[in-house]
Amino acid sequence: MIDALAYTVVALAGVGVLWGIVTAIANKPPGKAQLLYAAGLEAVTVVQSILAAVKIIGGFRPVELATTIGYLIGIAILIPIAWLWANVERNRFSGIVLAVAALAVLAMTLRLLVLWTPAG
Amino acid sequence: MDPSRMRGVRAQQTGSAGRRTNSGAGRVLVAVYGIFALAATARAGVQLITRFEEAPLAYVLSAVAGLIYIVATITLARGTRASRRLALIAIIIELIGVVTVGTLSVIDQEAFPRATVWSVYGIGYGFVPLVLPILGLAWLWHTRPHAPQPVEGRG
Repeated sequence: MIDALAYTVVALAGVGVLWGIVTAIANKPPGKAQLLYAAGLEAVTVVQSILAAVKIIGGFRPVELATTIGYLIGIAILIPIAWLWANVERNRFSGIVLAVAALAVLAMTLRLLVLWTPAG
Repeated sequence: MDPSRMRGVRAQQTGSAGRRTNSGAGRVLVAVYGIFALAATARAGVQLITRFEEAPLAYVLSAVAGLIYIVATITLARGTRASRRLALIAIIIELIGVVTVGTLSVIDQEAFPRATVWSVYGIGYGFVPLVLPILGLAWLWHTRPHAPQPVEGRG
């Protein structure tokens, strides 16, 4: 975990949540830009999970190792699943589905920042 | 009016089957259930593997919660008549579980020394675990199938 990257994910996810709500209020399915944005959020999230995994492999031991690994995997798979689920039936609720996933990524990343303290 | 709502209106007018649980707002409900299935199951897995002896009851309850969320997610996502029944059972157990564990964890903290997804009505998850079964039941009611023929002599 790199703090700056984690806060970037939090900020990007926050915008993703708002965007999803906005398109839902406008009664529109997510547009191309919004789907690309979600892909971008996913890319940054995956980079962070990979960097964190490298640090763990390199010997870093957070207090809650198993929980931390679970979160690192969790944040990486949420957006792709939500993307697929949101695109099966495209309407205003697709945006909310993306918003829910982004909110989960946001909350889990904040939790990861707390978990990311060395054991001992 | 969005298409899914129009379908619902037509279904009511013609008296055919109700809306599917996996359509419209139901997709959001399934997404939230899916996240809780993932969260509760992963959490229970970690707890059971790494420190089961610390609080066996709490961790087994965590696992039960995870299982119920998985069943609710799959059955709501399938949206068939048969899966509706399973979803109803799972969500009723979920509601009883979150209210019981929530109340016990407030009254008798020693019985639940370790946090589970349902502790203090799901305070660790923004009380979503308490609201979710209520939304689930409301959604099942909202999408309930309509009888093809109204039953004679009723209402």
